[in-house]
Amino acid sequence: MTPLLSVHALHKRHGERLLFDIPRLDIAAGAAYVLTGANGSGKSTLLRMLGGLERCTRCSVEFDGLRQPLYPYPRQLRQALVYVHQHPIMFSTSVGHNIAYGLLARGADRRLLRGLVDEAMTWAGVTHLRDNDPARLSGGEKQRVALARARVLQPRLLLLDEPTANLDGAAREQVIALIPTLIDQGASVIMACHDRELINLPGMQRLKLRDGHLEVR
Amino acid sequence: MGLLEATTGAFALLWSGDAALWQIVWVSVKTTLSGLVLATPPAVVLGYLIAMHRFPGRRIVVWLAQAALSLPTVLIGLLLYLMLSRRGPLGDLGWLFSQPGIIAGQCLIGLPVLLAFTLAAVQALDPRYAETALAHGASPLRVMFSVLHEARYGVMAAVISGFGRVISEVGCALMVGGNIEGHTRTITTAIALETSKGEFAQGIALGIVLVTLALAMNGVLVLLQGEAHNPGARL
Repeated sequence: MTPLLSVHALHKRHGERLLFDIPRLDIAAGAAYVLTGANGSGKSTLLRMLGGLERCTRCSVEFDGLRQPLYPYPRQLRQALVYVHQHPIMFSTSVGHNIAYGLLARGADRRLLRGLVDEAMTWAGVTHLRDNDPARLSGGEKQRVALARARVLQPRLLLLDEPTANLDGAAREQVIALIPTLIDQGASVIMACHDRELINLPGMQRLKLRDGHLEVR
Repeated sequence: MGLLEATTGAFALLWSGDAALWQIVWVSVKTTLSGLVLATPPAVVLGYLIAMHRFPGRRIVVWLAQAALSLPTVLIGLLLYLMLSRRGPLGDLGWLFSQPGIIAGQCLIGLPVLLAFTLAAVQALDPRYAETALAHGASPLRVMFSVLHEARYGVMAAVISGFGRVISEVGCALMVGGNIEGHTRTITTAIALETSKGEFAQGIALGIVLVTLALAMNGVLVLLQGEAHNPGARL
């Protein structure tokens, strides 16, 4: 099966130090991966590079049968991938506007916008927060709004950086419950995480970063 | 003339609706606002671009922008005078001793303040705003508007400071405008003139108008800023 995304010769240097040396990484369509590794091993940096937020020293990607450099970041990837921060930040508008942000940025049809946002809010269980000030949200609510903001764009690949970090109790459970539904809807997901419950979700494939090398398990 | 006597005279002048006095006020308001309106968009965009991009010589640009804050307005006036004088490179414009000349000066005086404050405001903003906009498919223009919206309190502070510097400057307006009555006489150049003539009531009246204008303009900008959100503890 042709992978959704193939990354070739991913190298990243920080001064003299080699952060990554990954000859090849294939991401299958509709598959879910957990990216593990010790603190400081570069999990976030790797996701940020794939999401076009950080430069790599030299690297190319194959996406939809087209091979091109990862920097400058290809437009096709920008349309197909969404990266979600470990601590998502909200624009100081409203929760509803935050979820609509990407749709507005991509010039979505305004007649469809409301329905898409409603659907994403229902999925994340944040409908009651539509007009709220995002600065007043709890950590768990913020994470769910961020997931809805990403999901509403129907990305083909979602990059989630520690989605349950600093969450506990019901907030953590609610976020964990959303992840399998993302995968069921056909999106590929790569999650950097330490959370045992997420790592042990059914169907998860493991990628482990160690000393700049990626082990596929 | 004592201070009390001069102040009483100043209020009498203001209440009498003295046409010459209000003409001076109008010239000041018009040139200051025109200068600000012209200088704000390029200064804010430049401040944003310098804050968001890494390029060779960036620190030199930041250094120069911040150093420009300390430029005396008379020096800017002198340079502009040389540019606009009949033999200068911009002499054909015919702006010397005219309101467009004063507006050009106000622009040059306001630009570094607006640029440096916007630069500082955008630099201080959490980089995740720009990253989130980018990661959700925003164009560079939309990223800029989103970031400036988040930095709006800082950008407003830039406009307030720019207004303060421009409305209170005297050197450039005097040199480039020429202090021509009814045409290029501004509040500050008039205060300097009236004081030198010993007409303290007129000077104080204009001073009162200047302070009132500053209060009104800052009031409008504070209202526009709204309530700055601070989720942290209030001491």
